[in-house]
Amino acid sequence: MSRECTLDVNGSLTTLQVAPSARLIDVLRDNLGLTGTKEGCGNGECGSCTVLLEGRPVNACLLIALEVEGRAITTIEGLLGPGGKLSPVQQAFVEAGGIQCGFCTPGMIMSATALLEANPAPTDAEIRDALVGNLCRCTGYTQIIESVRAAAVRLGTGDRPEAPR
Amino acid sequence: MTPFDYHRPETLAEAFRIAGEIPGARYVAGGTDVLVRIRSGRERPNALISLGRIDTLARLELGSVTRIGARATIGQVLDHPELTSAYPLLAQAARPFGSTQVRNLATVGGNLCNASPAADMAPVLLALDARVEIEGPQGTREVPLDAFFKGPGQTDLAPREVLTTIVLEPPGPDARSCFLRKSRVGMDIALTSVAAHLQLADDRLTRVRIAAGAVAPCPLRLRAVEDLLEGRTVEPGLLDEAARLAASEIAPITDIRASANYRRRLTRTLVRRAVAAACEESR
Ligand SMILES: Cc1cc2nc3c(=O)[nH]c(=O)nc-3n(C[C@H](O)[C@H](O)[C@H](O)COP(=O)(O)OP(=O)(O)OC[C@H]3O[C@@H](n4cnc5c(N)ncnc54)[C@H](O)[C@@H]3O)c2cc1C
Ligand code: FES
Ligand code: FES
Repeated sequence: MSRECTLDVNGSLTTLQVAPSARLIDVLRDNLGLTGTKEGCGNGECGSCTVLLEGRPVNACLLIALEVEGRAITTIEGLLGPGGKLSPVQQAFVEAGGIQCGFCTPGMIMSATALLEANPAPTDAEIRDALVGNLCRCTGYTQIIESVRAAAVRLGTGDRPEAPR
Repeated sequence: MTPFDYHRPETLAEAFRIAGEIPGARYVAGGTDVLVRIRSGRERPNALISLGRIDTLARLELGSVTRIGARATIGQVLDHPELTSAYPLLAQAARPFGSTQVRNLATVGGNLCNASPAADMAPVLLALDARVEIEGPQGTREVPLDAFFKGPGQTDLAPREVLTTIVLEPPGPDARSCFLRKSRVGMDIALTSVAAHLQLADDRLTRVRIAAGAVAPCPLRLRAVEDLLEGRTVEPGLLDEAARLAASEIAPITDIRASANYRRRLTRTLVRRAVAAACEESR
């Protein structure tokens, strides 16, 4: 039992056969080879599977692939610029040390990217709030918050002084 | 996950037809409850019928009455300035709801139809005297939200029926409100929650509505508390009495999150604080 489905991922359309119960995360990783998106809990709690659906962060483990047929999906791979250049948010995570094992990183970056799109100069409280659905077992979050703050500066929009540590 | 078939009807009529043809099929809106249950094996439907392509279910209209389509997401409610300024309770319940990702998927209708005693939109919509419109193969009917919940996971919906719209009256000229919710950490469901909505004019409380979540098999209105407060002037003695009465109207259970006794004490405190905060709120 499989169904034809045309997905709009990172700006390109792909038509493929999917099982009706296949989740978006399954199709991204297993059919499209986009393994940047990670599956942690599979229950909507950890955020490692975060992708953007029409610009808004959602859990790819809670979406049936057929449900999002034809709607614009962005994954971590879709943030890269020409020649594989890291996006400003990606670059900020590298430089500010917001990455340790890296498992939570793609989800964190997708959530942070959506936040900065909607709110170019967030306060630390707003950053924490936007990342409530993204768990990290390594960093203790401090450097992740710093990465998002640095990304806001990088995007040329964050004009606040560094918060005291 | 046990495999299931997936249907994407574009009209309610088509949804009813599919539901009639496949016994064991289940509706799905945002999927944030259903998919978690399927994955854990607690539910094994042979097919899901998505409400995602039935656009009439996603309308949000403010007018002589307010109509919230059942498929509006929690995020859409939060991002609707006219709606949240007319009904601050909706924003207070939507803001701490899950995470950004969950709010972008979870629907208001799904929250009610799932009928968890802890569902966050339930107490605020009860306090706002919401009615729900239900459509099925036999036609359309409207029930007060108060009569919609029948038990944990149980509602007034007949097998093929769909909740289409949540209907709210205008908030009232002297409306005051407050929603308080206690959970252990972010992203956790409520241990107990209390919503208060009332009119305050000349120091007198009228049209008092108090509802509580996670303290009984269903989200419920605390009618004895409402009756006590109706027509009265707020003073500390009255709030004490309201708090005591609230504790006697609920039937909390002990579970992994909290003991029944703790929930009872919490309800007392939250009722007192919610009514006091509603009265102090300036509009
Ligand atoms: C990580 C996480 C955090 C969460 N946090 C919260 C929280 O803070 N507060 C809270 O209250 N909940 C929370 N939830 C639970 C859930 O997100 C909500 O209950 C949500 O509103 C359910 O809506 P849905 O559209 O996803 O429902 P679905 O899963 O699609 O459906 C739920 C049930 O309702 C039925 N249904 C849905 N829509 C209709 C309709 N229009 N007509 C008839 N039947 C219908 C379905 O058949 C199913 O039985 C959380 C869930 C997760 C995974
Ligand atoms: S894998 Fe989707 S939220 Fe954890
Ligand atoms: S860096 Fe390891 S989980 Fe976040």
